[in-house]
Amino acid sequence: MHGVKRRQWSRELLKQKRIEDEKKIKQYRSLVDTVLNLKETQIYTKDSLKLSKEVLQWNPEFNTVWNFRRDIIENVKGQLDVTFWEDELNFTMAELKKFPKVYWIWNHRVWVLKNHIDSSLKIWQRELIIVNKLLDMDARNFHGWHYRRRIIKVIEDRTGKSNDHEELELTTQKINKNISNFSAWHQRVQLITRMNDTDEFENRKEFITNEIDYITNAMFTDAEDQSVWFYMEWFLEYEMVSKVLNHNEYTTILNKFQSNILIINEDDKEFSGKENPWCLKMLIIIEKLQTNLGIEIKDGKSKEWIAKLIEADPLRKNRYLYLLHEEK
Amino acid sequence: MLSPERRPSMAERRPSIFAHALTPLVVPHLAGIEDPLPATTPEKVDVLIAGSGMVESVLAAALAWQGSTVLHIDKNDYYGDTAATLTVDQIKRWVNEINDGKIPYYENAKLYVSTEIGNGKYNSRDFGIDISPKILFTKSDLLSILVKSRVHQYLEFQSLSNFHTYENDSFEKLTNTKQEIFVDQKLPLMTKRNLMKFIKFVLNWEEQPEIWKPFAEKSIAEFLIEKFKLERAQVFELIFSIGLCYNIETKVPEALQRIRRYLTSFDVYGPFPVLYSKYGGPGELSQGFCRSAAVGGATYKLNETLVSYNATTKEAVFADGSKVSVMEKVIMSPTQVNQNSKNVPEQPYQIHRLTCIVEKDCKEWFSEGESAAMVVFPPGSLKSGNKQVVQAFILGAGSECCPSGTSIWYMSTTEQGVRAEMDLDAALEAMELSILRESSTDLENDNDIVQFGMNGQTVVNSVRLGQSFKEYVPREKVHFLCKLYYTQYTSTPPFGVVDPSLFEKNVVSDKFIPGASDNGVLYTSMPSAEISYDEVVTAAKVLYEKIVGSDDDFFDVDFEDDDDTQAGPADNSNYENAIDDEDEDDDMGMGKNESTEFVGEMEI
Repeated sequence: MHGVKRRQWSRELLKQKRIEDEKKIKQYRSLVDTVLNLKETQIYTKDSLKLSKEVLQWNPEFNTVWNFRRDIIENVKGQLDVTFWEDELNFTMAELKKFPKVYWIWNHRVWVLKNHIDSSLKIWQRELIIVNKLLDMDARNFHGWHYRRRIIKVIEDRTGKSNDHEELELTTQKINKNISNFSAWHQRVQLITRMNDTDEFENRKEFITNEIDYITNAMFTDAEDQSVWFYMEWFLEYEMVSKVLNHNEYTTILNKFQSNILIINEDDKEFSGKENPWCLKMLIIIEKLQTNLGIEIKDGKSKEWIAKLIEADPLRKNRYLYLLHEEK
Repeated sequence: MLSPERRPSMAERRPSIFAHALTPLVVPHLAGIEDPLPATTPEKVDVLIAGSGMVESVLAAALAWQGSTVLHIDKNDYYGDTAATLTVDQIKRWVNEINDGKIPYYENAKLYVSTEIGNGKYNSRDFGIDISPKILFTKSDLLSILVKSRVHQYLEFQSLSNFHTYENDSFEKLTNTKQEIFVDQKLPLMTKRNLMKFIKFVLNWEEQPEIWKPFAEKSIAEFLIEKFKLERAQVFELIFSIGLCYNIETKVPEALQRIRRYLTSFDVYGPFPVLYSKYGGPGELSQGFCRSAAVGGATYKLNETLVSYNATTKEAVFADGSKVSVMEKVIMSPTQVNQNSKNVPEQPYQIHRLTCIVEKDCKEWFSEGESAAMVVFPPGSLKSGNKQVVQAFILGAGSECCPSGTSIWYMSTTEQGVRAEMDLDAALEAMELSILRESSTDLENDNDIVQFGMNGQTVVNSVRLGQSFKEYVPREKVHFLCKLYYTQYTSTPPFGVVDPSLFEKNVVSDKFIPGASDNGVLYTSMPSAEISYDEVVTAAKVLYEKIVGSDDDFFDVDFEDDDDTQAGPADNSNYENAIDDEDEDDDMGMGKNESTEFVGEMEI
């Protein structure tokens, strides 16, 4: 969870907490023993269902018990009505609120939705609204994004209609809210790749032009954010871009990026006396792309930039030395 | 005696947002409002406080919870003193008293009230006018104390996100968040970069002396232009709207501190930097602290004037002839003094205020769903050639301080002398003209002015708006229901950074003046020109330390029901709810956000 403070425990409080914890641990252990025993002996009853829930409320990381719970449900399915399935959804939601980054809870929730007595399109659409809300709370929880893709997939399969355009717009909104939302940038990559593959862009060239403006804007807004640089690298190297644009257009765009990055790096140098490693790395990549295009570069600067990188980013010195070696 | 002319108090209103709370909230009664005044005063108290303004009330609550016995009096028949929220009729009386010399440190009060209030459309009690209006930064010492003391539970807060800078005859809305900078299509790329660079820097400027130290003695404007290459428009926004500085000469460290205050407050409770309290500002807050003090055991008495205090016998004598022994200290607001008070600190600084009630809802200036805005007139932006900033705080009907269709404009300046009134008049004229233009109906069809942004949102081009209306002569006029002008004096200079020494030196004189009725009395500070509450806690702590010896246990309140953690899986109070799907209430029911202080041990 982002932005959550750690709590400071005083020695006194800690001692008190230990005593209380000990009690809880004892209680927990005996409960776990009972449930694992039920699992061993394959007792699939509503009682087992209740006990497994108790264990999971203590410890949602206990995947064995989640599995056991699903086995029980499969076995007593006949006795379960809509209320049970809705309660199960509420239960997983309550757990997710407490533990938004536990895989097993997300996993169980999807299973519940799929096996829900009324597993209609409606409940999946409702689920989409819920996950949107979750992402509003924490737009950088990759579990949320991953889960969202799973929901969208089911909805798309059932309606036979692609949601990609809406999804792309959503990533724009999330990135606008926070440029550092790596999950949203990542989702953008996934979507663009798929939309290109399935021929969903009305006008690829127009899309590319807008995207380049968007990246440029992002780079000027925050030149220290790695998500922007990673995305830029992916986009410039992405085959769709070099295929849709003709040689001249592509070269012009590379040159434009090069000069903008140089401006940013110069500005950083003037302000703080330091080079911006992201700029240097990207300059090297662009020069490589230019070479690959067969453009003759008269005075290649890559070596110089690598040398500067070694100085600006000494932690990765050996990596740069290796690159320098490659250059020869 | 219950005051007949006043607005409903918080206990009488019983805010509806708490109706569904798990434990029903009890707003404690306060003597003189909901309860009769005590027939007798105690014979012996630890501390006697005269005046129920912000600082005195916070101090009373802090002392009461620390265990001191407190007698808190006010010579008025209402709570609040220098922080009061008054009805129009109460304002009439207040103005008369100022002009009769009965309320020291206020002067030159002028009042116009339309006949529509009282005899016509509106009642005097429909309005709650703050005599020193304030806004609350969401990351501030007062806010944490409001939460810690639970006084926030008596109050209702609303957000304020619209800060405008008056430039080129129009109100520019601030571009201050990373998101706004990123999506703003008017800003040149390099400006975006420079602005972002500055915002990142200012968040922890103290750790980067290499950047600001060379400019430490220079003005913030020079620093922003030379070091960050920012343009005039951004520089003015940063200094005057975000930093709320008073003039262009503000020094670098002071200004950085003030700019950071805004930025770190942004997004604490949502996309806005400040809150204000419904039903009245400091009047409500001070009353809330008085209630808290009463729960903590303090005794309250209105209509009570301290006539004299003898530091040797420790005896305090009141106007009604009653007496009390004060074991520790007597604290007094400069407004509560009597004829023989000779130790009141000098109050050399003027604050000029112009408060207007207008018959316009002014929603054009507010963000959607909000009911307040700040407008700042930077130096040189007004016809009067102002050298100091004029700050305007606008409250709409949603604040419950005025009826629907009206709003209150609070304008103030730190300019001294006759110029001040000219500046305020010029600001009023500018606001008048501006609201007439912006609420004019033939605007929406003008394609040049209304554009659509990247995500389809409407962007009003204020620059064009300013230009196209340069020649605009309004057909209608703003209808004023009330205009109030006055000058207040204070010992606190318009400050950059809240510094205890600002208050320290004002508190007490060690001199013993023969014949003085106030030898040994500690004085509180009159409210300064500061539009936020930022001085209050510091000022109260200085006094607290003088009385208790240290400020270690200042509001070290331990409520009994705080630590009832039960064992069992259903107990999730140990964890901060990472995802909370309760709908955000516009009214900022901060009760449910109490866990800002209490955060789970587990980092998820």
